[in-house]
Amino acid sequence: MRLERGVGVSTSRPDWSQSEVAAEPATAAGEPVDEPRSVEVRVAAEPAQLSVMRAVVGDLAMRADFDVDSIADLRLAVDEVCSSLVRLATASASLVCRFRTEDDGLSLQAEVTSKDPSGPRTGTFSWRVLSALADSVAPSVESAGDDTGTYVVRIDLRKGRTVHE
Amino acid sequence: MTSADSEHAAHHRGQSYEELAPLFAELAGVSRQDPRYEELRDKLVTEHLPVAQHIARRFSHRGEPQEDLTQVATLGLINAVDRFDPERGVDFLSYAVPTIMGEVRRHFRDTGWAVRVPRRLQERHLSVSSAISTLSQELGRAPSPSEIAKHLGITRNQVYEGLEASNAYRSSSLDELLTDTDEIPLGDAIGEHDLELGEVENREAIRPLLAELGERERRIVVLRFFRSMTQTQIAEQIGISQMHVSRLLSRTLAWLRNRLETDVGPETNER
Repeated sequence: MRLERGVGVSTSRPDWSQSEVAAEPATAAGEPVDEPRSVEVRVAAEPAQLSVMRAVVGDLAMRADFDVDSIADLRLAVDEVCSSLVRLATASASLVCRFRTEDDGLSLQAEVTSKDPSGPRTGTFSWRVLSALADSVAPSVESAGDDTGTYVVRIDLRKGRTVHE
Repeated sequence: MTSADSEHAAHHRGQSYEELAPLFAELAGVSRQDPRYEELRDKLVTEHLPVAQHIARRFSHRGEPQEDLTQVATLGLINAVDRFDPERGVDFLSYAVPTIMGEVRRHFRDTGWAVRVPRRLQERHLSVSSAISTLSQELGRAPSPSEIAKHLGITRNQVYEGLEASNAYRSSSLDELLTDTDEIPLGDAIGEHDLELGEVENREAIRPLLAELGERERRIVVLRFFRSMTQTQIAEQIGISQMHVSRLLSRTLAWLRNRLETDVGPETNER
């Protein structure tokens, strides 16, 4: 498993302390406002790995001071998103989740490579569950762009945070 | 409470336990390698078994199987027999009853956790859980970790610990013990027409699975995903904690995913 600070940054050096910094709440003093706090996690696309994703989103949501309902919903949503993608993944594929904590919410993008160009179905019970747990959820599929004939299947999800003063 | 218990047990057995006192003196003087040691120990445990059974019964109807409780109480009794020191001048029951009660109480505190969680964290989990219900009542919505921290006078990191401990919780446990009764007032039963599965394309696969769920689990799923109620609102309506609703939902969704996959296969289910 690799945890990286910043979307698309690809150091192979595991650095938990850096990701800890990335997980600081949006309200932390001295943070540049225009730099969203991001964490990227890559695991094998296997059901046994989902607890890692659940733990990461739970931690980020807690530290961003989401209310306890939203924290629990985000954990359930990540479980559901990642389970759907793992089912579509090619053998030995990775599951990548990019989490972004923003001032007014948390968004995540999860992706796997798949042989199937149709992506996750949106009429299912599972999608109904996701729609209830998040403010918005959207699937997308694009060609992997190499000669493997595979596709990158993604689910984007966002949940807003209500700030109570 | 404990002395009343000793008295009760003693009366119950017509003071016969006092006749066993010389055996403790003898046990103390016998080497553990001596066959007589095992013989005395067995006799003392067997003769005092009604005390353990009596205490186990006092903790029944709290969500733990009676046979488990009797076993735990018996373990407490064996510990008491092994550790009792007749030289101290207290009678065995005054020593044994609190020891056995302690063992049973520990059982209740410990069995709720799927992994070993330090007692400090278990207690933090409970205080965070009860703060959530108090604050939900006051605020009319779910509180955030910072609000819980303020309410309890602890740091946010301590709140995080309490919230995360929930993930190590086994579901039939202390939480249910504190907030559930055997008869949950479920009000109107959830009927077929309430499920609004009309636009769900794999509804034919889902329907029988929902019917297989326990009444409470089905109700929670329907309220959360088909009536858009929050976990806090559901918790209040059903009379359990928000953290408990959260665990039940998580477990139920995992079960549904698993069954959908094994019953109908991913091809027909999600394709």
